[in-house]
Order: sequence, then C-alpha cells, then structure tokens
Amino acid sequence: MSVETVKDRFRCMPEGMTMDLAVVEAERCLLCHDAPCSKACPADTKPGEFIRKFQFRNYTGAMRTIKTNNILGGACGVLCPTERLCEKECSAVMKSEGRPGGSDRPVRIGDLQRFIVEYGRSVGFQPLEVEGDAAGKIAVVGSGPSGLSCAGELAKMGYEVTIFEALPEPGGVLRYGVVPFRCDSDFVAKEIEDVKSLGVTIRCNTPVKNSGAAEKLLTEGFDAVFLGPGLWDSFSVVDNAGDIEGRWSSVDFLAAIRDSRLDDLIKTFKGKKVAVVGGGSVAMDSVEGAIRLDPESVNLVYRRSYTQMPAEEEERIAALRCGVNFHILNQPVEYVTDASGKLTGLKLVRTVLGAPDASGRRRPVEVEGSEWIMSADIVIEAVGNKAPSGLASAYPSVKTDDKGLVGADEETGATSVPGIFAGGDIVRGPALVVEAVADGKKAAKAIDAYIRRGK
Amino acid sequence: MDKKKKPDVGIEFCGQKFINPFLLSSSPVSNSAEMVEMAFDYGWAGVVYKTLNSDRINIDHPSPRMNSRNYGSRKLMTVQNVEQISDRPLKDNLLDLLYLKKKYPDRKLIYSIMGFEEDEWTYLAKISEDNGADMLELNFSCPHMTIEGSGHDAGKDFAAVEKYTEAVKKAVGIPIIAKMTPNITDVVPVAMAAKEGGADAISAINTVSGISDIDFDTFIAKPNIHGHAAISGTSGPGMRPIGLRFIADMAKDENLKLPLSGMGGIETWVDALEYILVGASTLQVTTGIMHYGYVIVQDMVEGLQDWMASKGYDRLQDLVGKALPTLGRTDLFDLDRQGVAEYDLSRCVGCGQCYTVCTESGGQALEWDTAARRPKLIEEKCLSCMLCSFVCPVSGLISYKEMPAAWQRQKTAVFGKDLENELKWEPYAGIGGKDGFTC
Repeated sequence: MSVETVKDRFRCMPEGMTMDLAVVEAERCLLCHDAPCSKACPADTKPGEFIRKFQFRNYTGAMRTIKTNNILGGACGVLCPTERLCEKECSAVMKSEGRPGGSDRPVRIGDLQRFIVEYGRSVGFQPLEVEGDAAGKIAVVGSGPSGLSCAGELAKMGYEVTIFEALPEPGGVLRYGVVPFRCDSDFVAKEIEDVKSLGVTIRCNTPVKNSGAAEKLLTEGFDAVFLGPGLWDSFSVVDNAGDIEGRWSSVDFLAAIRDSRLDDLIKTFKGKKVAVVGGGSVAMDSVEGAIRLDPESVNLVYRRSYTQMPAEEEERIAALRCGVNFHILNQPVEYVTDASGKLTGLKLVRTVLGAPDASGRRRPVEVEGSEWIMSADIVIEAVGNKAPSGLASAYPSVKTDDKGLVGADEETGATSVPGIFAGGDIVRGPALVVEAVADGKKAAKAIDAYIRRGK
Repeated sequence: MDKKKKPDVGIEFCGQKFINPFLLSSSPVSNSAEMVEMAFDYGWAGVVYKTLNSDRINIDHPSPRMNSRNYGSRKLMTVQNVEQISDRPLKDNLLDLLYLKKKYPDRKLIYSIMGFEEDEWTYLAKISEDNGADMLELNFSCPHMTIEGSGHDAGKDFAAVEKYTEAVKKAVGIPIIAKMTPNITDVVPVAMAAKEGGADAISAINTVSGISDIDFDTFIAKPNIHGHAAISGTSGPGMRPIGLRFIADMAKDENLKLPLSGMGGIETWVDALEYILVGASTLQVTTGIMHYGYVIVQDMVEGLQDWMASKGYDRLQDLVGKALPTLGRTDLFDLDRQGVAEYDLSRCVGCGQCYTVCTESGGQALEWDTAARRPKLIEEKCLSCMLCSFVCPVSGLISYKEMPAAWQRQKTAVFGKDLENELKWEPYAGIGGKDGFTC
C-alpha cells in the first residue's frame, strides 16, 4: 500500500445527500407547530425553520437560517450528535400514547443541514453580511468553534475582530481534534472562510501565552477579549508513566493526522499492535484513524461497560465495523516496556461494575488478581482533555478552578475580569462543537452590551 | 373444496366483451405493435392505438416533446406534452395492428383516427375497419395539433363533431367512440353532437390545456421547442378530479345515455374504481404507464378483484355508475345535520399541524397544550371543515362526528373590541329597507 493510498483514506469525509434525497427527507418533516427540534438545538440553529424553508423550495433562505443562527452550521451538520439533540425531539418518529417507542425514525436533520449549506455554496450563495455599525475592536483567543462563533457574531454587528491562533491553521478542534474523514479540511476551510468574509482577521502561529498576555490585550487597543483556547492537554491513564516510545495522547495523534506528521504515522503504525484507551468520541476517532494506518491490530480498552461508553452509539458501531476489538471492563494499570524503554504491552486489570458513582453510572471495581498483559507496540490515550498547566498564566486575574477551567457566567460568558469573556471547552470542560458555538453567540451579545454601555 | 371463484372484472362495452376494463390510451404508450404486445402480455384488455394519420400530411413531432411537473419528491404529478398523432406510415401501423389481431384474438383493438377533412375521416374509418379494427375512436380532442382546425379545435365545434362522426358512421359498421376534450365549459352538448352523428360511445378526457414549468433563465415554458412553447396537453394524477367530473357529467345526462370510456390520471385500482363508480365502463391509461410501466395493470386487476371479493361483489359491470345517484345537487344537502371533528388523541404524535390549520384556515376551535404537545378541541367552534384531518400525519386519528339536532355552533364574534368605538359601519337603505337586504 503506497503512502498516497493510505493518505487518501484520511482526505475526505463521506459525501453528503443529493438534492433528490434531501427533498424526500425534508418531506418527512411534519412541520410541527412548536418545532421541538429547534428548541433542542443548543446554538438555536432553528431546524424547524430551515426544513420548512427547504420544503417550500426556499433553498437559499434555508441556508440563511442555518448560517445566520449558527455560523458553523455546516460543521455542526456534520459533527453534531443530532440523535440526542434535535433529532431526539423529532415528531416524525411518530410516538404516541399507543406507540411510545414510535413507529418511524426522525428526520435526518444533521444531514439536511449539511446538504443545505453545501447546496448554497454550490450556487454561490453567501447569506452572511455585516449588518450593524458597531465600533470597537475585539480580540478573540483561539480559532476553535467558540472563538469563530463569537468573532462572526461580533463582526456581523460591525466590530473589528482579530482572532489569535496558536497553531498554523485556524479551526481548533474542527481541524486538529476531529479526524478529517469525519469532517475534512476543505469543508472546515469553507466554514472559516465564511467567518473571514465578515472581515474577521485570523492571525495564526500567534499564541497568547506570555504571562498576562490575554489581559494585556485590553490595554493594547482591544475593547474586549474573548477566551476560547480549548483544552489541548490530555489526561493520562497511568500516572507518572514518563516518556515512553509508542505512547501517544489522542490530542497529539489526531493533530498528527492533520499535519506534516502523517507520513511518519504511516511508517510508525504499519503492522503494529495498537491499543486505544477510552470510551468517548475521541477514542472512536482514534480507533478509526489507527485502523486506516494498516496496523496488525487495534484493541480498544475501556474500564466500564459497552453501554456506559460516552461515545455515540453510531460512533461505537462505526468503530466496530472498522474492525476494532473492544476490551471492555479492563482498567490499564501500567505500561510494559523492554530494556530500551520501548513499549511492548499494556498491563490491564479486569473490572466489574459496582455501586453508582458521582456520574450516576455504576463504578468499575478492579477484580483482584485478574491482571493481564495486552501486547501493544503503540498506545493512544483518549481519556479526556484538560487545560495545559501554563495556560492560565496568560490571564492571571481571571478566576479558574482547580482543573484550570475558567469561571464564566452561563448566560453571558463574563469572567471575573470586566472585559474578558470566555466560552467553549475552557469553561465547560470537554463539550460539543454546537455548545461552543452557543457560548460564542452569547458572549458576543454580552460583549456588545458591555461596549455599548461604555464598559 | 371448490376453488374460490375470482370476481369478474370483465366489462361489456358497445356490445363487445373486454377481459378487464383496462386499455392503453391512444398515445406514445400505444405507438407500435412491439409496445402493445408487451402491454398485452402484462394483461391489458385492449388498446386504443396511437392516432392513425392518412399519410396525406407529414407528421413531425416537436423536439423535445414532453415535460414533467413534480410535486415535491413525487415526479410526474402532471405531464405536459406536445406530441402529435402517429408519425408512422398508415400501412406500417395497419400491419402492426393486424399482427396484434392475429396474435391476441381475445384483446380489443380500437383504432384512433384523426382526419383534417370529411373525406379523410371516411377514408381512415374504412381502411381501419377493413384492417382489423374492433372499434374506432375519433380523436376530436388533441389540444396541441400543429395543424389548424384539427384536434380539439374540431372537438369544440359541435357541428364539426357531428359532421365527422356522421361521415364515419356512414362508412363503417363497427362501434364508434368519440373522444372528448375537457377544454370546454360543458362537455354534454359536444357528446350529444357526437351521438347525433352516430357515435356509439364517448371517451374522455383528452389532455387538459395547461402549462407546466417555466424556465427562469429564458422565461420559456417547457417543453421548450427551441425558443417556443405552447399551451398544451396536461395529463396525469393531478388531472384526475377533472376527468372524473367529465365522466360523471355525461353519465348523469338523461339524454346522452352512451357507454363511457374514462381516463385521466388512472394509476391504481382505487382510481380505476372511482371512474367506474361515476359511470365509466372501460378505462384508459397513458401517464401511469409512462411513469411506472405496463405492469401497473396487474395491480389494478388484482386490487379490484380483492376489494370486490372482500365486499362480496361478483361483477365489476354491476358497479358502473354506483356513485351517481347521490352525486350532483347541492340543494339536496340536509343543512340541519351538523357535526364536528373528533380526535383520538391516544394516537396523536404532537406535531400540531391541526392547530395551525384550524387557527389559520378553520374556526379557531383548537387550543394547544404547550406542555403535553396536544390539541384540545372546543367543539362549539368547530366548523367541521375537517381540514385538520387532512393535514394530520396519522390517518384516521381525526374523524367526523355528527352532533345532536339541538346542538348549535358558536357564531364567529366580531373582532377588534379594542377599536370598537372607532369602527362605524355604513348601512345602505337604497335597496331593501332600513333593516338591510332582508325581504
């Protein structure tokens, strides 16, 4: 298998709907009087409205609804776990007293959303425009979903917005945290173009990291600052394991797929035994990414049960279809290395489910004496992201908690420092793209109010 | 045990026995023996063959010649066509028909003909009878002939219809069907003219004059024949209510009393049965075949037979015109009997389309329980328009319930109480009296 062939597996996401399919799907919409789907969207993308518009052949209007309410509406159409958001509330399931389980499936709202955005682009339609004449300069730290959303909203109001991005390309998790075969670089680039089309400046390779740097922006000509740096450090399954060759964090692994390290990955993973630790969406992305690199095997290790996995059911099934072996109810204990410090295996202990823990899920309890060693050349740890330890030094006056998460008002994103707002994962902890978009929107409104009342 | 006897879907029409009521109508689907043979193998009882031309005038079809009007994802809700009569030499068509006659002796061959002058009608009728026709259908109804004075130009002209029918009648002994255009206010006088001329039966409807899509770049309707479009023939399921109406109008007429061949949007046994019930005995199909193929005849026959068996009807013939006695006069409606919509909310899925339609197109008789996502009917305000039941995605959830004789519907109150003092209406006493136009 040539390197290019392997790379091709990473390049594109599956194609979306065609117009014919979209029309049929939209017809399934019952045009509910009270649009429960719309109420279920954290970012208020208004599916009830855009599907109605689409049904009435108002295709461009449908795109306007999506993009003006959710500037990353295309990406959300691709990435949202719609089955537990808008689609969960869909009346086309035909639930009734007599059929509490329903007799049909929800409208494929996410797929329609993506199609409508792609269709609008294919006819050269751009619904976003600067509407207001607000004056002021805003700095946004991080070009991930919350930052892009906040920047776009403010730019629509007329503000001059600059986004500071630490990495070489904009997009945050959209680019570096999601595998490209789920949401590809071209698609992400178009979403970002939409933000830029409103006059937003994105300065890449420009981390805001020096001591107090984020706060200093307020004295360097910016009227307000929005913090949306995301969580770019990983939790580890084995404390103080140190530097071991073959040990990857999911953050690094997923970013490497997107950048120049992909060639190295292809060489490193070929024919190897790979273990992925974790049960969330990132773990499933890591599994699917690893399998595309032609390893000998990919084993997923998760300390709880299958149904307890935080990954969406669709993602779990997709991972299984790719050929991963699930090892549920196994807790990693330590890395096993050879004399040179190279990884040879992962020591696991079996678990059983005990009493419920704080999350309400039954806690995994280790089974004494059940340790075993899973042979592995490479381990990808996908057990959650956290804030890098030094991050908060850029905003020392802003209140953060013991995990490094920024304290911000739920409705406004206001932090403890006037003029500094925050949203996305750095406030919520690991969360959804659509929730980050919602944070950006709310913060933009609050920033506007803050500036209008003279700070 | 005796083998269960299937209901008889055979039909007698103009004294001839058809194995079922289903015929290809005269159109692109009956253009050659090769096509009709396939249809016969699927079970069609006969064909009204593509309208024969005498060779005197060369026929060229416009290109392109059709367009489809869709409804959402449903294709061919109507089909627009500027198709002409057969462009094949008469001899070729007759040889094809003779082949079918020989191979399918139990199927009926109805030759459609169109002349442009009296002698031509006579010629086509005679040559058809001499070459195997079981019956003739006189095409008085094509709405888009490119030759003036033909097609429905003739069909709208009572005298021409009578004259040409009479010429044909004089020439042949086989039954004659006159095919009507719907592009006329009242079809009965035209059908009567055909009867006066000697027609043995009437068929209807030919395509309805219409326009389907218009291209928004060129502002030319479709089909766009290289810069020109025309108001032309519309067919398909969207035209069905019109077809049914024309058949019923003729079937109910006391003087006409001719067998009727119905067509217009027939695709399923349900459509077929509706045409039968309003008085058609044979049924013709084109657009349904264009959309789905000849195979649909099998579902129409099977569906009719199973429905008849379930209801205990032995002969389809007995059902012809069954819906006519109650169909027609609005002055016979008993307006004292009133009712309301009735909701079986155990099946409700909570979409609220009923609430929207009742509020905006009905009697504002529904309230919406926001928390439960369910409608609540205020019976006194229900107009019994039943619109709610039509938009409801759960068939049968909303039904009609008659109310007791003493029940009274609440009158719609005058709106705008807040501006009451500013609203002054002006009585007109010029006609009637000071109490209004009451006497």
